[in-house]
Amino acid sequence: MSVFLSSLGFGIISAAVLAIATVGFTMQFAVTNVLNLAYGSVMINSAFVTYFLNIHGHLNAWVALIGGVATGSVASYLLNRFVYTPFQRRNLAPITIVIVALGVDLCGTFGLQAIVGGSYFTYRQSQGREWHFLGMYFSTLQLTIIAIALGVMIAVAWLLRYTRLGKAMRATSANPNLARNSGVRTQSVISTTWLISGALAGLAGTVFAMNTGVFEATSAQLYIVLLLAAMFLGGPGEPYGAMLGAATIGIATELSAAFINPQYKMVIAFVILLGMLTFRPYGLFGSERTA
Amino acid sequence: MSVELSTQGQVLSASQVSAGYDGRAIVHGIDVEATPGRVVSIVGPNGSGKSTLLKSLVGVVPVLGGSVSVGGTDITNVPPERIATMGVGYVPQVDDVFPPLTVKENLEIGGYLLPRHQVHERIGAVLEFFPRLKKMMTRKAGKLSGGERKMLAMGRVLMLSPSVLVLDEPTANLAPLVATQLLEEYIRGFADAGSTVLLVEQRAKAALRISDWTLVLGGGRVVLSGRPDDLADNPVFVESFLGGGAHR
Repeated sequence: MSVFLSSLGFGIISAAVLAIATVGFTMQFAVTNVLNLAYGSVMINSAFVTYFLNIHGHLNAWVALIGGVATGSVASYLLNRFVYTPFQRRNLAPITIVIVALGVDLCGTFGLQAIVGGSYFTYRQSQGREWHFLGMYFSTLQLTIIAIALGVMIAVAWLLRYTRLGKAMRATSANPNLARNSGVRTQSVISTTWLISGALAGLAGTVFAMNTGVFEATSAQLYIVLLLAAMFLGGPGEPYGAMLGAATIGIATELSAAFINPQYKMVIAFVILLGMLTFRPYGLFGSERTA
Repeated sequence: MSVELSTQGQVLSASQVSAGYDGRAIVHGIDVEATPGRVVSIVGPNGSGKSTLLKSLVGVVPVLGGSVSVGGTDITNVPPERIATMGVGYVPQVDDVFPPLTVKENLEIGGYLLPRHQVHERIGAVLEFFPRLKKMMTRKAGKLSGGERKMLAMGRVLMLSPSVLVLDEPTANLAPLVATQLLEEYIRGFADAGSTVLLVEQRAKAALRISDWTLVLGGGRVVLSGRPDDLADNPVFVESFLGGGAHR
């Protein structure tokens, strides 16, 4: 029982990090129609910017995080502006954009590795004291990450449901031509979406690195499997589904690590992904339209 | 009928318009003039280019030749979001609402260009016009019936008080009774209130009943045009659209 509860605790933290990342990832996909496989690369590059500000800029890690968030936001905007949009304008098949994204991911990850090398890095940051809840153990840092994730979920839900921009984002996602006929400047909405979702990638990358303690340039390379599994579980392009998907995948992978083998974490996520694609490709929250 | 929903019409004019996809024209050299207080309808067989023509007028499909203007302002190949600011409301044949958004949110997007404080007021005006929507404000548009959905699509464009309404087969997939009500009560009503209405309609007989002028498209070109009474006396038109198996 204690193994189960401590694994559940790890699962909740993993789910919190994954939720931040998946909400940005699925929002990006819904509004821009780009399956940005370079998302993990943006995450880890942002984490390294936070690292350099923290270690070499002598900034507190939470202050340095602002630099990581800004990096994710700007990098994603530029990625869309100078890489994806030119390809999309040529009306190429969606698979072409996926391949381009894969190329960007490899360039981003291994380009970073060429700069920082293959060493392991860690932030100068305390984990804080340990807290016990119902047989689960959390550090202050982990509780802070969970609180950030909850805050992000509430902010994104509020953005999408109650703001003019959020409604325009959902309208652009549902029917871009009709949105334009209603006066929505969809290009501007799409650019803003890249900025917001990129900021979430930057935030997710940094808290991911904080949570793992040590990280390297390729640490987020397989993270895309978790992102895809969480997104397809919730429903592609469904931010609320992404939250549920992230919670499920985060907890399932950590429990499987405790009871099966830690090396099978990604395999479990991949099996869930395959299962969803086979039996309900539009996910728990999606409709057939989104599949 | 409330007349505040639309504003005094402007002339929508297309001169020698050719339009299509990927540089290939589907419609060729079309002239249309829709004026305030009148319904101009476009009929024709499937694939004759009716929808492509309408889409080119509202900026969704590129105009490859000729020109389009609203109220004397050239709008040829102007982006749809700018054409919307000029008082042109467009209801497409399909994909005419945002399915994952609620009825209220659809109307809010319809009023996207309005100052925030006016949106609520306009929704109230639209709901007076389509009272059936009142009880459905929190329902997702994708869950509406065909008739309710079409009302919402019309309500969405009315949020901006358009002076020109461009409607692509508004009665498609509607029950005959609902279709008749939509055409005769609402669409004719807009024109009577001073708006300009350009309508593509498959139900030729019903379209003629509410129109002041009708164009017949065939193979991407205007093959006939005239007042409905005159067309109803034209044996070619009667044979093709009103008689025998083609009667709708």
